Amino acid sequence: MANHPPAPVSPTRWAIPRIPTFLLRALLPRAERDEVLADLNDEFLSRAAAAGPRAARRWIWRQALYSAPALVGWSSRRELTGFEPPANSYRPGVSMLKTFLADARYAARRLRSRPGYTVLSVLTLALGVGGTAAVFGIARPLMFESLPFANTNELAVFWMGGSWNEQEFMFLRDKFPGFRSVASYRQGDVALKDGTAPMRLIRGLSTSGELFEVLGAKPLLGRTLRVGDDVQGVEPVVVLSYGLWQELGGDQSIIGKRFNLNGTLRTVAGVMPRGFWFPDPAVRIWVPQILNPQRQNGSFTLVGRVAPGADPGAMGPHLERLVATLGARFHYPPEWDKTKNALVTPIRTELLGSMRPALVATFTAMALILLIACVNVAAIMLGQVEGRASEMAVRTALGATRGRLTQQLIVEALILGVCAAICGGALAATGFRLLAQTLPIGAWGEAANFDWMLFGVALAIALAAALLVVLVPTISLWRGDLRGALNRARTGGIEGRGSRLEQGLVVVEVALAMLIASSAALLVRSVSNLYSVDPGIDTRGVAVIDTRASVDALGGTASSAEAQRQRDIDAVVAELRGIPGVRSAAAAMKLPLRGNGDTFGLTIDGRPDVTDANTFFRIVTADYFTTLGFRLKAGRTFTSSDGTATGEIPVLVNEELAKRFFPGVNPVGRAVSGGFNIRQRIIGVVANVAEGKLTDAPSPARYFYGAGGAWFGTNASFVVRTNPGTDPGTVLDAARRTVQRIAPNFAVYETTTMDRVMDRAVGPARQIMSLLALLSGLALVLGAIGIYGVISHFAARRKRDWAIRVALGLTGSRVVRHIVGQGATLAVAGIVIGAIGTVAVTRLLTSFLFGVSTVDPTAFAAASVALLIIALGAAFIPAWRAGRVDPARVLREQ
Amino acid sequence: MTDTDFVPLGVLEEQILVAVLRTHDEAYGMHVRREIERTTGREMSIGAVYATLDRLEAKGLVTSSRVAADGPSRRLFKLSRLGARALTDTHAMRQLLWRGVDLRSLSILARS
Repeated sequence: MANHPPAPVSPTRWAIPRIPTFLLRALLPRAERDEVLADLNDEFLSRAAAAGPRAARRWIWRQALYSAPALVGWSSRRELTGFEPPANSYRPGVSMLKTFLADARYAARRLRSRPGYTVLSVLTLALGVGGTAAVFGIARPLMFESLPFANTNELAVFWMGGSWNEQEFMFLRDKFPGFRSVASYRQGDVALKDGTAPMRLIRGLSTSGELFEVLGAKPLLGRTLRVGDDVQGVEPVVVLSYGLWQELGGDQSIIGKRFNLNGTLRTVAGVMPRGFWFPDPAVRIWVPQILNPQRQNGSFTLVGRVAPGADPGAMGPHLERLVATLGARFHYPPEWDKTKNALVTPIRTELLGSMRPALVATFTAMALILLIACVNVAAIMLGQVEGRASEMAVRTALGATRGRLTQQLIVEALILGVCAAICGGALAATGFRLLAQTLPIGAWGEAANFDWMLFGVALAIALAAALLVVLVPTISLWRGDLRGALNRARTGGIEGRGSRLEQGLVVVEVALAMLIASSAALLVRSVSNLYSVDPGIDTRGVAVIDTRASVDALGGTASSAEAQRQRDIDAVVAELRGIPGVRSAAAAMKLPLRGNGDTFGLTIDGRPDVTDANTFFRIVTADYFTTLGFRLKAGRTFTSSDGTATGEIPVLVNEELAKRFFPGVNPVGRAVSGGFNIRQRIIGVVANVAEGKLTDAPSPARYFYGAGGAWFGTNASFVVRTNPGTDPGTVLDAARRTVQRIAPNFAVYETTTMDRVMDRAVGPARQIMSLLALLSGLALVLGAIGIYGVISHFAARRKRDWAIRVALGLTGSRVVRHIVGQGATLAVAGIVIGAIGTVAVTRLLTSFLFGVSTVDPTAFAAASVALLIIALGAAFIPAWRAGRVDPARVLREQ
Repeated sequence: MTDTDFVPLGVLEEQILVAVLRTHDEAYGMHVRREIERTTGREMSIGAVYATLDRLEAKGLVTSSRVAADGPSRRLFKLSRLGARALTDTHAMRQLLWRGVDLRSLSILARS
């Protein structure tokens, strides 16, 4: 006898783990199941007593896992050979696996014979599954993955990002209280000239030497930037991203090689590893910023790593000291006061926080679609169960347990789920890129990578959805009276089981559709409000070519380079005018609707109260105002003779400047100063234009003529107005070629139209709106399918009832009215519940709304009416069919 | 022994048949499993034991019958005539195989 030493055990003391027991129970043939499980339990207890419960638990897990392959083989062999030992003759039975396979075969046959039901269910689920998986794939790196920096929770970004200047940074450098190290950076795109290839513009960052030390980022090759790289006179270096390094050949010998960047030969110091990014994935090159303590150009952002032990969330006292130091050295105008509202933001919030609302809103909408899809499929399946009531009743009468019937439903749902996962995965794969570009997440959309894990995600979501779906018919099955069903099926009984459940599902579905539709309606309202904001220019029919000139510091002086650049710009404008279909052409340093841009302090002669008042300044060419459709309010615009002025230069101002600084006076002819170290004479006033953001309040602005003292910087946007009827998109190619031919040292980095600039200025609300509009369309279709299914089921179930009534004199139109009324009742209930839910949920959208309240009655009414019309339409089809029924035929059939 | 009725046994099958033989009247699946563990010192999964016993029964090397027990009834295995023949044959074959092998030099080689 080889028994284990029997140990005095109390069976209740140690519970055998459930999961391995369940696995074994599922795999063991029924005849041997109880005996093996009882033996395993005994041995588990004796092992627990002898070696401790932990060892016993490990043992049972090993038993289950190592047994699984053998048991699967055992069951399938019995299945294949038909061998059943004589000892089992009174206990025949099969493993759960075997019944599972049988159910799978049965379900597959059933699904194949009902292609309409199958395709509808699979596609419905696949839409939800695919969409949710794709959004998840895009959101995952932004919301859940760690950032490619060391100890991210020690990193924080300073307040008033993008407005610190070199003087402030150099003054504070090394004495930021509470910080181990702080770096300053600003956008610094560079034009790369690599051999004979056309010049390319690369998104880059110009940064102080501390940046990589602050981020704690290690290079893949060579070294990162360090303090000392950012002083005048040292060898100019550059650090490349992995992607750019690959594009340049991916050779390790790149370290030490020199490239012409913005006209400067720079040595490659290092390459960053794959996956590193800062501050977003579009930035592919990092260049040291030569820091000049005299320069007051404020366009830097500060990022710092807090001192060991400090908490970035509680830097208040340190920041107070910092502000005191700053305030003692610098004096700020009230609107730019850096000593107010000092605050540091954790780096994750700073870099990714702005995308959160868009992602959360989209993800929620997708999840709702998935939920609607589940509800829809559940309702369809419930209808199927209803239709199968007599089949199920017969099976019960023949000995099938409810568990067995449930298993069959689950298997059917799982098959649907797996098919939906495959279709949904394919959908996610195809829709991924489109979605990534539609979502307002900027460079992240470009950088989003499809990965195969999405299929896994889709499968997990689909199976969860399938189980959710099967829950409803299961409840109905377990609550119902199966024997009664047999009688009812024979007599065509009136009230079926689950009809109330089915109606409840449709109400839920309509409520969810209402949620999405009214959110979309809110955004439609908001976006149309944004489009009706007058930007002050005529955006139609204008082509835009954005360029950046290479600063060729390899020869000549800075001012001769500026003069050459100006000549190039004039030559390009003259050539652009000659393109067929072009009415006028011009250039500007910066176009309206594209963010704030540069400012200069304004001083007015004889007005001591106006010194260094903040104004935008723009440098433009002669026809700029007519090309963009500015409205001239007083005086005149520039002519080509304005370029020759000496001593003082002409300037145009906008109405806001006139209103604020020359109230009640005609400013034309008045002299002002500030900027370019030269007096300016106002020659005209133009209407306010949205020079910053579309929704900003008007700001004072000055426009300079781009010659004779006021030079273009390295950025120039060419604008071309086409003749009426000519699509500006058609001249873009010719315009690009013109720029490249006339001014080869100008890198064209974008060609677009002013309408698209406007679209972009309208911002994320537009993108979210198109997405939500699409999803609400989907939700309405799904809702219509749900209502159609339930109402036609309702009508079919009561066919006999109607037939009797019609035979007794009820008219067909009364039948139609009654059935449509049923649909309307369900829809109205859903709409009311959905509207209440919407009020709670639309807070998510607040950041996208402009000029609309979250409880806007127009949006709600529009969504409700749309839903109601669709619901009535969906209910009308089965109602109409029921109204035309021939009572004699129905009664004979039954 | 003739070539025609020799039934070749796999190692696991041989071990299980021997264990059935050794556990006499108590050859339940779980006992067989424990017996193998005790003699070979290796852990064995209950699934593999039952699957093999079933296969052996299908080949006619063991027979099983149900006996009442405290809890659920159990399948009790017995060596059949064919099974006994197969074990005898395997044993004889093994002895034949090892005849004349210098075990001492083998163990020296194994230890070197």
